[in-house]
Amino acid sequence: MNRHAIDPVPREMDLSRFDPLSRIMFYDDFNHGMSGWTILTGNYTGSLRNMHPGYRQFTPPMLSNLTQWDGGTHGGLSGSYALKLATRPNAGAQTVSLKRLTYPKACTMQVEAFFTFKPEATELELSDHDVRSFGFVLDIQNAQYRVLPQIRYLNALDGTLANRWQYKPRTREFDDVGDRTVTLYHYGEENWVDIPGGSQTLCYNEIPTKINWHYFRLGFDIRTLRYTELQCNDLVLDLSGLETLKFDAMPNLSNLFNIIPFVETDSRKRAFLYFDSILLSGDW
Amino acid sequence: MLAESYTAVIARGEDWTDGSATEPYEASWAREAAISLRRLEAAPSSGAASARVQVSLDGLHWVDEGTVVAIPSEVDTVTLARITGFPGYLRLVADMADGDTAFMLATLSLKG
Repeated sequence: MNRHAIDPVPREMDLSRFDPLSRIMFYDDFNHGMSGWTILTGNYTGSLRNMHPGYRQFTPPMLSNLTQWDGGTHGGLSGSYALKLATRPNAGAQTVSLKRLTYPKACTMQVEAFFTFKPEATELELSDHDVRSFGFVLDIQNAQYRVLPQIRYLNALDGTLANRWQYKPRTREFDDVGDRTVTLYHYGEENWVDIPGGSQTLCYNEIPTKINWHYFRLGFDIRTLRYTELQCNDLVLDLSGLETLKFDAMPNLSNLFNIIPFVETDSRKRAFLYFDSILLSGDW
Repeated sequence: MLAESYTAVIARGEDWTDGSATEPYEASWAREAAISLRRLEAAPSSGAASARVQVSLDGLHWVDEGTVVAIPSEVDTVTLARITGFPGYLRLVADMADGDTAFMLATLSLKG
């Protein structure tokens, strides 16, 4: 499990495939544990029944070695294991995982990752329309505002390939769940907008049991509450002109910085999102 | 080095009936798992209730592992089972009397 305990050199070499800002907050390659990635618990009071149904559907993340029934173990890009998010098997089902921290100083923060996604291989078909989307949400609060930068790669919608990046500039209203607690389900299908120039065909491969790793990068400036750039492999998009979900600051969330990858299925198959590695850096 | 450990809540307030199954949970890294069940709400019962542990190599094809965990009849009572030597995936399948329901919390505590 812990190859770095034996030889630390490969872990340092792993970093050269990233382009981090000046300080690295964390680097998780999932070959030595979950590293703080967890299930998202929606706000509730009294009973778990009172959690918003959107949050109740969420499943716990896993460590996967990407074993397929026909090909055996795929493994990660580095080492044997990857972080795995898996939805339930009904069209539109979503799941997320998150890592919760706070930012030490307002600055540009940048998430980088090597990822892949696939539908569950329940049919001997291409199945490239079966995953609806995957993406990232950042949950950030400064002294004045809470913002939820939210981008996704829309792979397919209602059975039609879309193959483009989108962002969400606005959302719905908060729901009250009692005892001064509110909840907001902001992962829904509403209000997604295409990012200009954001069309991109990723490497799905030719059957659902083969995977290929992709590079991802997303930056956000906490000082201006603006995106910086989105990159996926050789596509680089300037997001600095885009709006983001924005609310008045809320109690008990000073310097909040949560990172929330998500995936959703477009079919009656589970959608899987895998991360070989995730790196967060900043320029503070 | 310390062993890795992770607790996954595989049923977080879910209404089980006969045949309900948890979502597949992949844990090929783990050498052992403690499985616990807790009933969150009182409900009338017309017969015994339990959960079978099933294992899978690929998350698609399942076999009974052989361990059965009782579903508690009382709220906040916990039942527990321990298993080792399983392949990649784990899930639980409920065996209950027709018409019975249970609002459940199920967790896997994994170590490897």
